[in-house]
Amino acid sequence: MITAEQKPIDEIREMINPYKRILAVGCGSCVAECAAGGQKETAMLASALRMAARMNHEDVTIDEKTLDRQCVRDFVIQLDDVIQNYDALLSLACGAGVQAVAEMFPEIPVIPALNTEFLGETRDQGLWIESCQGCGDCMLYFFGGICPISRCSKQLLNGPCGGSKNGVCEVDPEVPCAWQMIIDRLARFNALGRLEMIYPPKDWAKKQGKGPRKIIREDQQS
Amino acid sequence: MNKADIKPNGMAAEMSNGQNPILAIFYCQNIPGGDEGSRQELESHYGESIRLFPIPCGGRLEPLHLLKALETFADAAFVIACPEGACRYFEGNRRAKKRVERTQAIIESIGLEKERLGILLGSREKPKTLSRWVKELSEQTSRLGVSKGRRL
Repeated sequence: MITAEQKPIDEIREMINPYKRILAVGCGSCVAECAAGGQKETAMLASALRMAARMNHEDVTIDEKTLDRQCVRDFVIQLDDVIQNYDALLSLACGAGVQAVAEMFPEIPVIPALNTEFLGETRDQGLWIESCQGCGDCMLYFFGGICPISRCSKQLLNGPCGGSKNGVCEVDPEVPCAWQMIIDRLARFNALGRLEMIYPPKDWAKKQGKGPRKIIREDQQS
Repeated sequence: MNKADIKPNGMAAEMSNGQNPILAIFYCQNIPGGDEGSRQELESHYGESIRLFPIPCGGRLEPLHLLKALETFADAAFVIACPEGACRYFEGNRRAKKRVERTQAIIESIGLEKERLGILLGSREKPKTLSRWVKELSEQTSRLGVSKGRRL
C-alpha cells in the first residue's frame, strides 16, 4: 500500500488560491486505507476549505468526488462528465494518482493535497509502517521475509551490526531490530544457512537512474 | 427530564433566526436523560437554537459530523459521552475524544476558534442529564456568538 498524509491546510489554500471552481477528488484505494485521501477525508478537507473560504469572504465553489482509483485511467475517465464545471482539481491521491489525472486532463491544473510517504502496511488502527522500498530486486527470500533495506535503520545487508539490545535498535528504541527478526525467523525455518553468504551491495540501477520504471505485460494487454 | 433544567434558559425565541448562535449536540444515547422523549421535549423548548443528534455510542462520531455541522448550520458543536471507563462499548468515549481533538486542530488551522467544538464526558459521581448539559452548552454557545464559518 502507498501511504500518504494530508498537506497543511495553509499550503493547500495557497495552491488553490487562484481558482474559483475547485473539485476535490478523493481516491478510494491506498490513501483511503491510510485515512488520508478517501471519501471521508475528501469530504472533511472540502468542508474545511469551504469554511475557510467563507471566513475570508472568498467566492469559491468547492465540490467533492471520490474515484475508486486515481492511478487507473478506467476510473479517472469518470471525471469526464464533470470536469468542465471546474477550473482546478485538488487531488487527494498519491503522487501517481495526481499525475495520472493530470495526464488525462492536460487542460486543467491538478493540485496535490497529500504528501506521498512510503510503501507500507497497516500494522494497527492508525499505525502504518514502511516495509518496502520498491528496489526492483526483492531479497525477502534470503532474509526470512523481513527487508533489511526498509526495516534496518542502517540498511545492512550483512547484519547484524551488534548494536541492538533486547531486540530493539540502538538508533531508535521504538524500532525492533530487523536483524534480530531476520535471525529469529530464519532459525524457525532451519534456514540460518542463508546468512552464510555475503550479500554484495544492491544494484540500485534497477530502482533509479534510468528515468521512470515501467512494467510491460503483453498477456495483460488488449 | 427535569424541567427545572430548561425553564430558566428560554433562548429559543431569540435564537430562531440565522443571526443567532445555533448549537449542535451529538450525544450518546446511554447518558442520563438521553431518551427520545427528552430529545423531543428539549428541541421543542429550545426551538431552532439547538439540534440534537442521538448516537448509539460516542465512538460512532466522525470528525466529518462535526465539520459538516459547523459548515452548514451550527455555530458550535459538542459531543456528550459517557464517563471515563463507563462506555458500554469500552472505548467509544475515548475514541470520540481523540476525534474531537483532531477536528479542533482542523478548525483551528482555518482560523476558527477551537472552543466552538468540544467533548464532555459525564461523571459517575455527579451524573448530569442531557437537559442540564444542553442548558450549559446553550449558554456557552451564546457567549461564542455566530461563527464566521457557518453558511448563513
